[in-house]
Amino acid sequence: MLAQRAMQQSLRRLAVQHPALRLSTPAAIATGIYHQKRFAAATTISEATEHDKILARQRLNRPVAPHLAIYNAQITWYLSGLNRITGCTLSGAFYIFGSLYLIAPYIGLHMESAAIAASFGAWPLILKIATKAFFAFPFTFHCLNGLRHLSWDTTHLISNQKVIQTGWTVVALSVFSAIGLTLLV
Amino acid sequence: MASALRSPLLRQSLPTFRPQQLPRIQRAVLSTTQARRILPPLPQKIEGNVNDPARVPDPEPGHGSYHWTAERVGSVALIPMTIAPFAAGSLNPMLDGALIGLVLIHSHLGFDSVITDYAPKWRVPKSRRFLNIARNLALVVVGWGWYEFETNDVGLTEGIKRVWTA
Repeated sequence: MLAQRAMQQSLRRLAVQHPALRLSTPAAIATGIYHQKRFAAATTISEATEHDKILARQRLNRPVAPHLAIYNAQITWYLSGLNRITGCTLSGAFYIFGSLYLIAPYIGLHMESAAIAASFGAWPLILKIATKAFFAFPFTFHCLNGLRHLSWDTTHLISNQKVIQTGWTVVALSVFSAIGLTLLV
Repeated sequence: MASALRSPLLRQSLPTFRPQQLPRIQRAVLSTTQARRILPPLPQKIEGNVNDPARVPDPEPGHGSYHWTAERVGSVALIPMTIAPFAAGSLNPMLDGALIGLVLIHSHLGFDSVITDYAPKWRVPKSRRFLNIARNLALVVVGWGWYEFETNDVGLTEGIKRVWTA
């Protein structure tokens, strides 16, 4: 069996060989001049290093994690992302105001509440509404969605069905309350 | 009709369609996926070998469970503090200061999660260190700024009210 397989393999190799080698290879074997010469390597690279190099090169060809856009748009992870974005918006504003108020006297800015209110009051109405909406929606959304997160921490409302339901509820409530805060207050 | 179009004879007589032979740009149109190199991989280096055990971080009570609990306690405490100014119209300076402190701690821990998620230590170690230092520095600067606002001006809730109704 094994001999048959070896024969088959060598025949196959012969078949795919370059025509010039078709005669020279059997001839070399027949005359016994087929020893390979291996010269000592000029530089020695340890086997482990070489192995790591191949691995490192292979890793560069690995697929990169897919971009967010390939995922199906679902209320679950959309609101999770929105929760972080709104939180960063509010905290960013809080941080910017706090640090600006501290250095305002040194850079000649007027950050007193009376001064800000006076200049904000003089803005065109549409700009006032837009600015209020920019802060009102993140505020209402982050507050209401925070309640959802806290309920999950106590393992309540955590089924997929409930997460979707409460998600849309929070979207509706936060949009309406943000409109209310923007236009009515 | 359909079977006539699918006949092997017709297929043999027509040139075979091979996407590989198209120019690169035309091939890209056929492809449904797009390569977006937002964060291309860095030069790789192999540390240890596959038989090394996974590195377990040193246990620290400040991280993990206590950290999580503290974060939740702060979040829960923010609920009444957020409702109160709407219900009462305003907050007294002590409660207003407490609200500022809670918002500051909540933001500080929130930014911690953001930095941990988007600036991984193995990928951008220098940016990670810089962001963490900036975050701690911001805690002091912003806290001081709001302290000044609270003591010299009208405070957070009254200040927002003043600007909002301006």
